[in-house]
Amino acid sequence: MSRAWFSKLSLEQRLALAALMLGGLALFARTDGGNVVRLDVKELAGIVEREEDHVTPLELADWILARRADYRLIDVRSDTEYAEYHIPTAENVPVGSLPDAALLRNETIVLYSDGGIHAYQAWLLLRAKGYRSVYTLRGGLEQWKEDVLFPVFAENASPDEQARIAKLREVSRFFGGKPRSGDEAPAAAIALELPRVDLGAAVGVVPRQGKKKKEGC
Amino acid sequence: MASTMHEAVRPLPRSDAVVQAVVGRPYLNPYLAGIGLGLILLAAFVVMGRGLGASGAFSATVAWAVDAASPERAAGNEFLAPYIGDGSTHPLKAWLVFEVIGVFAGALLSGLLAGRVRWTVEKGPRVSVAGRLGAAFAGGMLMGFGAHLARGCTSGQALTGGALLNAGAWAFMLSVFAGAYAVAHWMRWQWR
Amino acid sequence: MEMTAPFYKYGLFGDEASLLVAFLIGIGFGFFLERAGFGSARKLVAQFYLTDLAVFKVMFTAIVTAMLGVTYLAWMGLLDLSLVYLVPTHWAPQILGGLVLGVGFVVGGYCPGTSVASLATGRLDGLVYALGIGAGTVGFAFLFPLLRGLYYATPAGPLTLPQLLHLPYGVVVFAVVLMALAGFYGASLIEARASRKEG
Repeated sequence: MSRAWFSKLSLEQRLALAALMLGGLALFARTDGGNVVRLDVKELAGIVEREEDHVTPLELADWILARRADYRLIDVRSDTEYAEYHIPTAENVPVGSLPDAALLRNETIVLYSDGGIHAYQAWLLLRAKGYRSVYTLRGGLEQWKEDVLFPVFAENASPDEQARIAKLREVSRFFGGKPRSGDEAPAAAIALELPRVDLGAAVGVVPRQGKKKKEGC
Repeated sequence: MASTMHEAVRPLPRSDAVVQAVVGRPYLNPYLAGIGLGLILLAAFVVMGRGLGASGAFSATVAWAVDAASPERAAGNEFLAPYIGDGSTHPLKAWLVFEVIGVFAGALLSGLLAGRVRWTVEKGPRVSVAGRLGAAFAGGMLMGFGAHLARGCTSGQALTGGALLNAGAWAFMLSVFAGAYAVAHWMRWQWR
Repeated sequence: MEMTAPFYKYGLFGDEASLLVAFLIGIGFGFFLERAGFGSARKLVAQFYLTDLAVFKVMFTAIVTAMLGVTYLAWMGLLDLSLVYLVPTHWAPQILGGLVLGVGFVVGGYCPGTSVASLATGRLDGLVYALGIGAGTVGFAFLFPLLRGLYYATPAGPLTLPQLLHLPYGVVVFAVVLMALAGFYGASLIEARASRKEG
């Protein structure tokens, strides 16, 4: 009996009814993914084990020097810590604000913090929200100081080594540090100054000039 | 014939029966056509992350033409320059250009299937061809102007922006209807 | 759940393939425009003489269909709505441009998309209209230095109605559905009145 009334409706009335039901159900819709998410723990465990989620300080230094604009470097510490020193081209998004930050899911994101712990936790938060191209700076700023800013070089190096060392000296100077000898204070203790680094036009942003208009009508 | 007499009496023949008598099969139920259009639009969202459009294809074409005639003019024009970019891709190799070519093909296909393709000028029976074409050109000019000022036309803004609940697009839609209704009375002569 | 749509934004295919996608989507677009009769200026302007409200019906059915589709796909986590391009709102030029566009619509009888559908089915006035759009575009481009102030005026960034009205997305969706259904009912009344006047 309940099907009889439905068959009496015209096509248009049936469509209207369907629209009304779908519209009514949509009252409860959430389109931003929400704050409660689902994780594939096996997938994440695999990534962690294979260490596919890291970027080393020297790799990052290379990326910055190569003026690569296809990723975003995010400093997840507080804004005061960011103001004191941050890796050139980094943006500041304190870890608490990460879920609401204007980060697009199809961007490549590199996270760092002091020792790395907050960055690693932030990595999990972003992966949970569906970001697929997220990396952490291995060792955080501590490692950045050790490897990039204040590297220690062996005294007697072979000629090949000399070339590499010369390059690393350049890198260190570029980012505002300087190499140290083995018996100086550990890198962690050295005070940092924000370097005045000139990276030209592409500072972490894809250069808009000259790019063809792609979207819009 | 009865249909011609009817047209002389009332300026706008409305019923599909008249259309059928004149040419081809009756049009599709507007709600079904709307669902079809809506699904195409949804496909664009899902596959491309963008909506439909048409006015952008016209600007790309004009930019290409101006660039071909005088590259400095095109590069120097703030509106056209983004359609040329740095010159690494051809201005006509644009998403909207290919989409509009598809619109041509799809409309032709539908028309052929329904027997609705014929060389004609849409106008009222007592209007001259020149008058109608003059109005068409003038209307097109206004449309071109308005569409670029508003950053879109009915397909790009009204449909796409409407579906995405874009605030500016909804304001745009209201303005379009307002502008059209305001002037409609003075354009009746085309359909008499 | 892995969100992979919009496919293009997640890099599932490149720019060349996207042009093919554009063509195919365009075919669908043009097909349904002509199916609805929108290759005919007569049919289109009938909306503004209140004798045939197909323009309203088709447009808002399409909007509601796509809107519900987007809402449900986003809700299910299958579509990342934040990656779907939203034309940034600029109140003044959009409203003024819309008014001019509306006038152009009823003077010429088409809009850019429908003019292409029209010329594809052999209508000379559609072709002339499209040429007019070209001329209007050239005019706009060369008048741009004078217009740029208006063009960039009153920006509000990418703004949705839920954001503007501070309402949940789903509530606005439901309201739009209700409005559309009320509009369709009103349209049927208006058309009935028009056919009574003719009869």
